Amino acid sequence: MVENPYLPIEAKVEKIIDETSNIKTFVLKSSKKIKFETGQFVQLTIPGSGEAPFTPSSSPSQTEKIELTVMNVGLLTGKLHEMREGEVVGIRGPYGRGYPLDDFYKKEVLILGGGVGMAPLRSLLLTLLENVDKFRRIVLCYGAKTPEDIVYKGAFPEWQKKKKLEILRSVDKAAPGWNETEGLVTVLLDKIEMDLKNSAAVVCGPPIMMKFGTLKLLDLGYQPENIYLSMEKNMSCGLGKCGHCGLGKYFVCKDGPVFKYDLIKDIPDIWL
Amino acid sequence: MKFLLNRANWENFLGQISKTYLIYAPQEFYGELAYQLLAPENVSKTIYNTYRAVQPLKTFFSLPQERVTEETTQAGKTIVLGVKNCDLKAISVMDKIFLEGEFVDPFYKERRDKTLIVSSDCYQPKDTCFCALLDNNPFPEAGFDLNLSQIDSVFLLEVGSPKGESFIAPIKEDLQDVTSDLIQKREKKRKEATERVLEVNREFRTERPFPSVVKDEYASPEWEEAARTCVECGACTNICPSCYCFLLVDTKDEGKFPKVKFWDSCQHTGFARVAAGVNPRAKLYERLRNRYLCKYEYRPENFGIVACTGCGRCVEACQGKIDKREVIKKLEERSGET
Ligand SMILES: Cc1cc2nc3c(=O)[nH]c(=O)nc-3n(C[C@H](O)[C@H](O)[C@H](O)COP(=O)(O)OP(=O)(O)OC[C@H]3O[C@@H](n4cnc5c(N)ncnc54)[C@H](O)[C@@H]3O)c2cc1C
Ligand code: SF4
Ligand code: SF4
Ligand code: FES
Repeated sequence: MVENPYLPIEAKVEKIIDETSNIKTFVLKSSKKIKFETGQFVQLTIPGSGEAPFTPSSSPSQTEKIELTVMNVGLLTGKLHEMREGEVVGIRGPYGRGYPLDDFYKKEVLILGGGVGMAPLRSLLLTLLENVDKFRRIVLCYGAKTPEDIVYKGAFPEWQKKKKLEILRSVDKAAPGWNETEGLVTVLLDKIEMDLKNSAAVVCGPPIMMKFGTLKLLDLGYQPENIYLSMEKNMSCGLGKCGHCGLGKYFVCKDGPVFKYDLIKDIPDIWL
Repeated sequence: MKFLLNRANWENFLGQISKTYLIYAPQEFYGELAYQLLAPENVSKTIYNTYRAVQPLKTFFSLPQERVTEETTQAGKTIVLGVKNCDLKAISVMDKIFLEGEFVDPFYKERRDKTLIVSSDCYQPKDTCFCALLDNNPFPEAGFDLNLSQIDSVFLLEVGSPKGESFIAPIKEDLQDVTSDLIQKREKKRKEATERVLEVNREFRTERPFPSVVKDEYASPEWEEAARTCVECGACTNICPSCYCFLLVDTKDEGKFPKVKFWDSCQHTGFARVAAGVNPRAKLYERLRNRYLCKYEYRPENFGIVACTGCGRCVEACQGKIDKREVIKKLEERSGET
């Protein structure tokens, strides 16, 4: 029999990090190394319960362990949040096409993230920072509901010190002690000046934010082919076979999850 | 390669090998034509040259339900007889999905590899058949291992693949040369069959080809109208020979990560739903329309094949009496309405 792509390999939950009240990062050590490209995703199985797609939030250069940052939104993610360190899950993948780093070389990279959408973006950010000489400038605009809802709180002070990286953050609703921006993440885009001719924008977040983020970028003058979107669709197989992830003629698991906006802009109702 | 073969010789051969192969043959079953397991006793009851069987060919390769986290498959050597062109076309779509790309479905592949397809011409289309409206013919031209066209009491046997060729090696002695008269008779029958399909569908003919109508009329109010009687049973997708969608479900069975693959249907409410209940096709008519777009626009863009082959099964199976041909005809008639 040819290799069975439905069969996960085992991975041990080595460490669980509480990010916010409903987001945790799971550090997984798998029985075989999983070599992925930043932006690709894996399918995580909780034995006997189900399977769901997640994008590693760690850098692909860290090959010993992969990290998944997961928001508790339903059945499977709820179960995952109940797991303890030492328990075993299954992993298949990596799948799909990640961020085309070559497209970003010598450019200003604008990263626009919302909520748990920061997961794949952290992987991207770490990858960009590891090769920082290749990029002109990195700007991260990140928004969360409240200061408490910001993920990777511990990492930001480190990142703030990095050369070539600028970080702007906003929260929908501020709290005492918050001295950064209050408002939707898109307002951060008014505060920055990008060299539009030499810039790529990467967006990941909840559907509504993806929509308004993209519209705002277009308003600012970004060309559709310079906007990279992570499309979230229902997925079952991850292999381009089960049909669940259809987006027009595309299978998001195989042709995405990262799409240049110009490829999908004419498909009706993409933001739902 | 074409030969003349007597039906009696062929049946004798099938009888002999029915112990080593699982042979499925279209036979009458409660007024329908359905694949039955062949044994020496029923070998002569096979009906080769009328229309397609109730079951789509895909059932032999993509099972309605199967554990896919196994290391091996249980597939045995299989022959399917009397396959019609609409199903051959549909299987070419299934093959693209399951056998091509970075990943191969090992279960589908094993069954497909172990199966010999013996197709046959249609001489008597059903009144739900509309292959000819989609530029498909009611007779096979490619995609088969062997094709049988019954003409009077003999078969015109056409070999379509090396697999088919080696299969008939044991009956070499029974194979005779074909006469041009026999080939002409086959041509005549084929032409008549095509005309019959067109005749049956006279009222459904559109000015633009079906795929163009479906694509152009995306915003038509007719979609909502068409979906009025849909009860979301999923019969249309289950019975369709080119509907490949499935769902992996984790079970509590023995084994490491036991997963069962079930046929799924884009007509069901939750098919495309993502986290937090967001549903890109929340409305019934959006799901109904999706099935047409998949068949007539998306898969043709991917594979260059119109994925609806006009077999008419979904027309027969629909609990809401939705006839695709009628829907598309109305889409064209209502063109311009919003
Ligand atoms: C490419 C990609 C990458 C992603 N990366 C991340 C990430 O890094 N972090 C993150 O937090 N989220 C990520 N997500 C979203 C994440 O996959 C969903 O939040 C998760 O699938 C929700 O699962 P749930 O069961 O908890 O939610 P639910 O709301 O309970 O279910 C969500 C969907 O799964 C279906 N479903 C639920 N149960 C079953 C079942 N038993 N059988 C079949 N279908 C079922 C539902 O129909 C629904 O469509 C990503 C999604 C995609 C597509
Ligand atoms: S859509 Fe209907 S007519 Fe077309 S191939 Fe499928 S079952 Fe047959
Ligand atoms: S067979 Fe008819 S009623 Fe059933 S889901 Fe399909 S269109 Fe709807
Ligand atoms: S998730 Fe199955 S085809 Fe994309």
